[in-house]
Amino acid sequence: MADHPKRRKSDITNTQRLIAVFWPSFLTAGVATALFFTAFNPEEISLCMGHQKPISNIGAYTIGFFLFWILTSSTCALTCYFQRPCHQPAKGEND
Amino acid sequence: MSKPQTKSAANGQDASAPEAESLYAKHKKVYPREVHGLFANLRTTGVLALLGLYYGLPWFRWDDRQAVLLDLPQRQFHIFGLTFWPQDFFYFAVLLIIAGLALFFFTALAGRLWCGYACPQTVWTEVFLWIERKVEGSRAQQMKLDKADFSKRKLYKKGLKHAIWISFSAFTGFTFVGYFTPVDVLWQGLISLDLGPWETFWIIFYSLATYGNAGWLREQVCIYMCPYARFQSAMFDKDTLIISYDEQRGDPRGSRKKSAKPGELGLGDCIDCTLCVQVCPTGIDIRDGLQYQCIGCAACVDVCNEVMDKMGYQKGLVRYTTEHELEGGKTHLFRPRIVIYATIIALIFAALVVAIINRVPVELDIIRDRNALFREVKGGLVENIYNLRIVNMSNMEQRYRLSADGLEGMQLINPRGNFDVKSGEIYSLTVQVRLDPVTLKRPSNEIFFNLDSVSGDKISIKEKARFIGPLVR
Repeated sequence: MADHPKRRKSDITNTQRLIAVFWPSFLTAGVATALFFTAFNPEEISLCMGHQKPISNIGAYTIGFFLFWILTSSTCALTCYFQRPCHQPAKGEND
Repeated sequence: MSKPQTKSAANGQDASAPEAESLYAKHKKVYPREVHGLFANLRTTGVLALLGLYYGLPWFRWDDRQAVLLDLPQRQFHIFGLTFWPQDFFYFAVLLIIAGLALFFFTALAGRLWCGYACPQTVWTEVFLWIERKVEGSRAQQMKLDKADFSKRKLYKKGLKHAIWISFSAFTGFTFVGYFTPVDVLWQGLISLDLGPWETFWIIFYSLATYGNAGWLREQVCIYMCPYARFQSAMFDKDTLIISYDEQRGDPRGSRKKSAKPGELGLGDCIDCTLCVQVCPTGIDIRDGLQYQCIGCAACVDVCNEVMDKMGYQKGLVRYTTEHELEGGKTHLFRPRIVIYATIIALIFAALVVAIINRVPVELDIIRDRNALFREVKGGLVENIYNLRIVNMSNMEQRYRLSADGLEGMQLINPRGNFDVKSGEIYSLTVQVRLDPVTLKRPSNEIFFNLDSVSGDKISIKEKARFIGPLVR
């Protein structure tokens, strides 16, 4: 990726970028899960959705956590993506 | 001679470029050398106490149930004699605020005390390092083993180490889940191989996290992943306890015979043995000045004191000190920020304790029936309808008595009389209040509902409501 001629070499490595996406989002997903399930009982949610046999609370928390993690990590990924300089130097122009 | 970096390094902005490139893939393994001494003993004591607490607490019983159980399936937190419900989230939020402020307070006072002695990352890494040393031997032996070609012996040593690491991690993961679902049930499930899928998932998840963080990532968690490590220097001042190399006393560095007089050789007290670098769990050189990678574990203090002793020099070339002291001044313990932090923490903590002591373990929500403001019933009376929601937040079933007051001559019609509510149950009840409208002075009047437990526990609560009547003629 970094050796693509049109792309500038970033000052952080891909591994660090990966951590920057998945680690802060993990933390905030944890907080969001705690807040969400404090306010809403998963049993009531699954009743509202008309499930006959609701899954266990722990299961609901787990699924909730991973849904939040998907959401927060997409935000982090977008931030990471937009950090890239958007100015593409024209041919001949110095980098 | 390396030029000592000074203050700017503490902000973490001075992190030199090669550092950033050495991340993960190109990362060099740090082999911390074993260290003995006062601070190593303190940390070992801390590690044993904290791990004892962590692994022991779930098995502790209180009133015929697990003493500390954050029962996620049942949505109630048991902490010794107290039970908290989702409605009590407020207390938890206050507790988090206190924890945050305490971190500020201790950082300003004693620097990275948390990182060096109490952080789970430090505590578990310490255990994993201990296991590694027991299996693979000293620092030199570990380095030799890693460089050596593949052999049966290497496979055995590495295999044994990882097997012990993984078993210990699995036990850690099991204990972790034991805080959230009853540990005895979990244990039964484990030995009869009948664990729930979600419990199994979280045990494995937490085990892998322990294994990865304490076995593989170690200091990289502190350096690259920990938010606290990045901002803690903002809370430092010139009186904060730091670990520092006494440059004036130590430089110029150089090796010498024990009998040599450093003054005659033009040398300082540092014999440049690099032991302080070898013991460092984050692989830095403390002699380069204060760095954000330093977790304040004082391993370098211990090892340098040992060397100074052997050389017959005064201890404390690397020591706990403050910037003021290094500059020849005195450390001020009671400075505004310390006093302010302490006062705020004390006030919030006192408020929390008072709030928990006075907490009434019942909730009464009153919703006026919205279909009609009021209606006239026989006998010329006016009636209002209320939907009540009662949550029993105590540990036991309670029988409640409902009464109302606030207006003269009011009658409460409660078809169910005294009623029982199970622990944790949300109970709904519809009642009417009737009144002769001639006694009303205003169309909207304040009334009160009283809910008292008649089961022996002294639980009572009074909630406000409104009684609407016809316009007064």
